[in-house]
Amino acid sequence: MRLTSLLLIAAGPVSWAAGAVKLLNASYDPTRELYQQVNAAFVKQWKAKTGVDLAISQSHGGSGSQARSVMDGLQADVVTLALAYDIDAIADKAGLLPRNWQSRFPDNSSPYTSTIVFLVRKGNPKRIKDWNDLVRPGVSVITPNPKTSGGARWNYLAAWGYALRQSGNDESKAMDFVARLYKNVPVLDSGARGATTTFAQRGIGDVLLAWENEAFLAIDELGKDKLELVAPSVSILAEPPVAVVDKVAARHGTAAVAKAYIEFLYSPEGQEIAARNHYRPRLKEVADRYGSQFPRLALFTVDEVFGGWQKAQKKHFDEGGTFDRIYRPGR
Amino acid sequence: MPARAQSDDQKIQDLEQKVEELDQRVKVTERNNELKDEDAAAQAKNAASVTADTGGFTIRSNDGNFLLKIGADLQVDNRAFVGDGAAAGADTILLRRVRPTFSGTVYKYVDYFFRPDFGQGTTVIYDAYLELKYVPAAKVRVGKFKPPVGLERLQSDDDTSFVERGLPTLLAPSRDIGYQISGDAIPNLVNYSVGVFNGVPDNGLSDAAVSSHRDYAARLFLTPFNGAARNPLSGLGFGSGISGGGVDGIALPAYKTFGQTTFFTFASGVTSAGHRTRLSPQGYYYLGPFGLLTEYTLTEEGFKKGLVQRDIAFRAWQVAGSYILTGEKKSFASPTPKKAFDWRNHGWGAVELAARVGDFSAERGIYNYGFASPATSPRRAHEWVGGVNWYLNRLVRISTDYGHTDFEGGAANGNRLPERALIGRFQINFI
Repeated sequence: MRLTSLLLIAAGPVSWAAGAVKLLNASYDPTRELYQQVNAAFVKQWKAKTGVDLAISQSHGGSGSQARSVMDGLQADVVTLALAYDIDAIADKAGLLPRNWQSRFPDNSSPYTSTIVFLVRKGNPKRIKDWNDLVRPGVSVITPNPKTSGGARWNYLAAWGYALRQSGNDESKAMDFVARLYKNVPVLDSGARGATTTFAQRGIGDVLLAWENEAFLAIDELGKDKLELVAPSVSILAEPPVAVVDKVAARHGTAAVAKAYIEFLYSPEGQEIAARNHYRPRLKEVADRYGSQFPRLALFTVDEVFGGWQKAQKKHFDEGGTFDRIYRPGR
Repeated sequence: MPARAQSDDQKIQDLEQKVEELDQRVKVTERNNELKDEDAAAQAKNAASVTADTGGFTIRSNDGNFLLKIGADLQVDNRAFVGDGAAAGADTILLRRVRPTFSGTVYKYVDYFFRPDFGQGTTVIYDAYLELKYVPAAKVRVGKFKPPVGLERLQSDDDTSFVERGLPTLLAPSRDIGYQISGDAIPNLVNYSVGVFNGVPDNGLSDAAVSSHRDYAARLFLTPFNGAARNPLSGLGFGSGISGGGVDGIALPAYKTFGQTTFFTFASGVTSAGHRTRLSPQGYYYLGPFGLLTEYTLTEEGFKKGLVQRDIAFRAWQVAGSYILTGEKKSFASPTPKKAFDWRNHGWGAVELAARVGDFSAERGIYNYGFASPATSPRRAHEWVGGVNWYLNRLVRISTDYGHTDFEGGAANGNRLPERALIGRFQINFI
């Protein structure tokens, strides 16, 4: 065990205190509670396995913002972001990990999934049942900014996907639908957690478009007497991916522990933690145990409806994309 | 239910709804303001900082990876010549140096420095280099800069105690393009520099090599008592610079007096040929307000005229002393006045007296082989210079120097007439 410590110190150009290894996980906004528990469990497991003390730090923010921070120099050994496009950007623009990163771990490097649901006030006073209720006059919708938040991009695509289904794949009708939805958005937070704060704590809006896990968390915290979850008829399968940032991990000498950390997310213990935090686990035995907590709804994927994240990003969220055309603040 | 009660209930419901709507509007406004403040705080945190102080104007990125400093060096001289040796039309007021400076650091370990000069009606790039500091004891400098030979040449022109450098500097290169590794072999005690350059004339600079020969330069400088508390020798520094290389094709030097008059030129048809070696033992000593700087430079260079090719030795030395009357500590850099000049607040700046003697000579063979004419180029110049420097503050200095130079040779009937030059300078420098 002592030899492992010495090798870790010798492997990297950065000098660590003898026996202590540090990891930084740059994650998206609503995963604080998840990774608090994951980190505590993994640190314990790593110590038992290798005898090495490990300290894992977290950085949270909108998924797009986090990706930009890593590209600008944030020394994240691993990234656990909201969508594959953000990690693709780190690979393509900064070259910090290989372009085939998504094939290095199972299930396209998504150890858990989620979806987008509605969080409404207790009693659902505005009678919100499905996506078309969000565009009614007088309904105030809270969703974050898709330019900075990965969750917001899932929200946007979920709404667009619904509208395509309703209109027989008419893109112009889908655009009109999403434009009317964003006209009902009074506040645009930078990340999913900020949007939850706006809705749940500031009491703004009638409905929050939320990650499913975030909706459950808000109900757990504020109470079932304040909020309730509404599952729409259809939503998007959100697959938040994870990756080792190879060049940073190599520089820090943490490649092995970073890989083990990601693999832990797929382990029975990691999957159990994910399910307890209301993420849909991949491991069947855990999914079967926790299946009843998750609403049943029809799910479509980004690949099926939009041809993948590269196409969706370019069409909708890049400079001059459809979001820029439909959202005008204050109008 | 009575109609009136229904109407009242409806009114109450309407009012409640309006209150709820107004409450939502207020909350939305407050939240949007909160988000704007958060954005502004995040931007301020990431914003670059801009400062302006005695070091110039500085722009620094928030993460410290990018630094740009903008400085300037401006010298306005009044040159006057007195006595029989004064050449007609030589008195002048001129912009001696007009040098904006752009310097900084990128990614913490790479320094860059760019300094052109627009003085005296010309545009010359004096310094343009970058320096890699990944290993502090072996910094790698690449570009155009001062080769490590002459001591006074290495001193910044705004820090010298005299408006013009001494005679040994005539034999040292001014700027050259090349590579250099330098650093402290022993921190703060032993400094070394080793470099390879294109090769330039004495006191000259150039932007391209004239042949495939290179000039190799090295310098070792010791400050063995540096930092030793209460040690009178803590201000002692000594060492030597050396250079050597081929000179084929390099332009011939022209040596100038204190008054910047060319006193020595080579005869027509002479070219540099063969090899040149320079040796420059040097040293300084500072103790409180007192400073002493001395150097001796020996150059042996090959010249050719027709079929005659010979090595000619040039020697120059100087001893320069100064004393700061107002008590500030003298060092290799300019002193910072204890109190900047402001007569309203009884601040008078710092005042320094300086004096030097120096000598320059070429071996007699320079005449014997026809490389120079004794009727036009004296083979010896001996100077003494006295001056006063008034440092108004850290950045501004007013200087007056008087220099007297005697010559041996250089006139048809014997010795060239002495030069008596009085030079006044207004200078501002921040970098």
